[in-house]
Amino acid sequence: MSGAQARSAGANVAVGNEKALLYVLAGWLLPGLGHWLLGKTRRAVIFAVLILGSFGLGLAHDGRLALRDPKQPFLSSLQIVANLGVGPLDLVARGMVYGGLSFTLPAHRMSDSDAARREEIYRDRTRSALSNYGTAYIWTAGLMNLLLLFDVWDIARRKKA
Amino acid sequence: MASHLFHMLLYSAIVAIFFAVLLRRERRGQLRLGAILWSSMVGGALALAYLMFPFPG
Repeated sequence: MSGAQARSAGANVAVGNEKALLYVLAGWLLPGLGHWLLGKTRRAVIFAVLILGSFGLGLAHDGRLALRDPKQPFLSSLQIVANLGVGPLDLVARGMVYGGLSFTLPAHRMSDSDAARREEIYRDRTRSALSNYGTAYIWTAGLMNLLLLFDVWDIARRKKA
Repeated sequence: MASHLFHMLLYSAIVAIFFAVLLRRERRGQLRLGAILWSSMVGGALALAYLMFPFPG
């Protein structure tokens, strides 16, 4: 049985919770991969293009990769969840933008440290005229992918065609 | 590009296509829902902007 046939056959049979979770994990690791593995090739490609395109537009427009702000811990944590929805790509983007994995703003201004440099990069991006557009694209990419994970689960459990 | 109108049109297109493909299976239904969502977002934003026009910034 070829890979495509196996994927197509997999789409017609409900899978167990463990396997469904693996499809969901695949969808988180790479947007669209969960649908691809379930035989929904066309939808997988469309979703991948939309989510990766939106994320790329966000980065190109100085979108903010959220950092947990001690002054607004709840809201800034929700922003990080939205960012992480796009999967490991968010971690790669943080590495490119901040020079390392970074998820928090320092509680107090620091003079000479990595945290201070990250804060400066974050505030520079916030000041950019394009930052609001970029941030909307980045958050939307993450939230769309989180929604897709529910769709992958429903398809895998045959709650949806 | 810093054109607010351009980004509104593009963003609306991305979101409309996403939900159309997510919520409808047939091509015709996807086109219909996508068009409704896109025109609602763009039309709603333009209508709101028009209504806010008399108010001072």
